[in-house]
Amino acid sequence: MSAVQVKNLSVQFGDFFAVKDLSFSVEKGEVFGFLGANGAGKTTTIRVLCGLLLPSAGQASVCGLDVLSDAFEVKKKVGYMSQKFTLYDDLTVKENLDFTSALRKMEPEKFREQKEKLLKMIRFKSSEDILVRDLPGGIKQQVSLVAAVLHDPEIVFLDEPTAGVSPAFRQRFWKLIGGLAAEGKTVFVTTHYMDEAEQCGRIALMKSGELIALDSPQELKRNSFPDREPQEVSLEDVFIEQVEGG
Amino acid sequence: MKTLWGFIRKEFRQTLRDPRMRILLFLAPCVQLTIFGVALSTEAKNIRLSVVGGLSDTTLQEIHRKALASGWFIPARTSSQDPFMQIQNDEADAVMVTPVGGLDRSLGRGTGELQLLINATNVTRAQGIERYFSSIVRSLYEFKPPLSFDVRVLYNPAMRTALFLVPGVMSMLVCLITILLTSMSITREKELGTFETLIAAPVRPEEVILGKTVPFVLLGMSNIPLIVGVAMALFGMPLRGSLWLLLLSAFVFVCCTVGIGLFISTIARTQQQSMMGGFLYLFPSVLLSGMVFPVENMPWVLRVFSYINPLTYFIELLRNIMLKGGDARLIVFNILILSAMALLAITVSWRRFKTTLS
Ligand SMILES: Nc1ncnc2c1ncn2[C@@H]1O[C@H](COP(=O)(O)OP(=O)(O)OP(=O)(O)O)[C@@H](O)[C@H]1O
Ligand SMILES: [Mg+2]
Repeated sequence: MSAVQVKNLSVQFGDFFAVKDLSFSVEKGEVFGFLGANGAGKTTTIRVLCGLLLPSAGQASVCGLDVLSDAFEVKKKVGYMSQKFTLYDDLTVKENLDFTSALRKMEPEKFREQKEKLLKMIRFKSSEDILVRDLPGGIKQQVSLVAAVLHDPEIVFLDEPTAGVSPAFRQRFWKLIGGLAAEGKTVFVTTHYMDEAEQCGRIALMKSGELIALDSPQELKRNSFPDREPQEVSLEDVFIEQVEGG
Repeated sequence: MKTLWGFIRKEFRQTLRDPRMRILLFLAPCVQLTIFGVALSTEAKNIRLSVVGGLSDTTLQEIHRKALASGWFIPARTSSQDPFMQIQNDEADAVMVTPVGGLDRSLGRGTGELQLLINATNVTRAQGIERYFSSIVRSLYEFKPPLSFDVRVLYNPAMRTALFLVPGVMSMLVCLITILLTSMSITREKELGTFETLIAAPVRPEEVILGKTVPFVLLGMSNIPLIVGVAMALFGMPLRGSLWLLLLSAFVFVCCTVGIGLFISTIARTQQQSMMGGFLYLFPSVLLSGMVFPVENMPWVLRVFSYINPLTYFIELLRNIMLKGGDARLIVFNILILSAMALLAITVSWRRFKTTLS
């Protein structure tokens, strides 16, 4: 069973198609990169897959559950780190995680275990009683990730998790993503950084709501520039050729 | 239950940590009531007194002289001989109207009647004028004065007093604070984006609604002792009825206004919109609550609005419980109505509330 299965999915806002006739599937344990220019429909797709937005047409299922009829169950299985703020700036790290566990009705035992494990994983050194607004941006994003996977979901959706973060922190963040995948979690991630996309198992390229390419980074390079050696081609070139050119 | 407790702790922390909300909760009631108090307590001085009908009598001359000598009154400069016109054109604050044939003559028959017209647009001032006059007349006679006043209070015949107005100001404060607190807490989450994360969790609409209602009802209730206390200390508001009935009334009213705050936040997308929504709701509901203008005197179209206005019932409850000691039937009736309104507001918001984005 695929972790995510999308068939002829469309999302319409008035006359405008934010997502149009989209079909793809993501296998379990995959790190799936979702790329596209601004407004390509990445966030909209993720919202549908998290049970937050109702599709206008087509089907989508996550962990075998239909997002239309089973949104509540879908929400239990997925973790979501949205493009905007996910933590409360005016609460401390501890208070934020407490609230997340209350929202997800976690057992106190499980919550303690998970929190300890995840904070160790991100090597969180500051006090848990520090207000989130006083954390450096990179750390904030890592704590957001902790909150998103606190309930140990099978699949996590990360919407531009490294936007506006320093290169060193971006690298660390992708180590964490690798760690999650190693645990068998499916990671569905959007990014505008090509060096990050390079680390994905497969990449979907979106343009104006439609899927224009879906393959591993290697294959994408080969297919876009058949007459050049894949090592010489950067994903940047592919992206420009596919999304902004042609 | 776990979710609710999580919400309560979160909302309390966020509200009490936010300087704006702290001001709204604790400073605004004190400042507003104080300003209101200062405005009401201005002493009546320089009252412009005019006499219509001439100062022909000795008694009338005596009263007039004493009044001016008291320091409170000054002679009015008038252009008209019509006592009503003098007040309407704001040439005089009080007008003595000499009885036909003179005051002396009517006194000669035993008792005399002197008509006194007072502009009562400002209630406290009007009451002051009446008091000064009585004391002046009393000082003229050793015993019970054979002279009585026919006082005509213009423009505010019910003589609404400060005590009558204070419950209005109190309930206005409760209303404003709870509506803003509730609706801004939700729209703030929408604005920042945390709302999306919140509904990404498997929570039912009723859990979120409850989680956003209970904390603000509790916060609103914690505000009641402060408001009642300040009102009692500043204005000498009595509390003749039961404190528990007062708290119960406040509770159903706060549930009601929190419900309205929830409703506003199902429409508003930003904090600014919810603040505007709050004020947009507040102004007409204050005007139509009987706080200043008696409901009975309104045209029926407006009266309908004051009967569906929660503020009307709460003001009536406050007045009844604090000033009169509480009339069982009125209290039960108003509390039931407010409960029904609270239920309605919360149910409607619950039905409108969605755990998906639009
Ligand atoms: N609720 C909405 N109502 C109307 N239009 C919307 C709504 N949400 C998104 N859109 C539009 O749909 C399009 C796709 O938006 P989406 O947020 O999915 O893009 P994106 O790929 O995530 O872009 P970005 O890289 O900027 O995050 C945009 O043009 C956006 O303006
Ligand atoms: Mg986006």
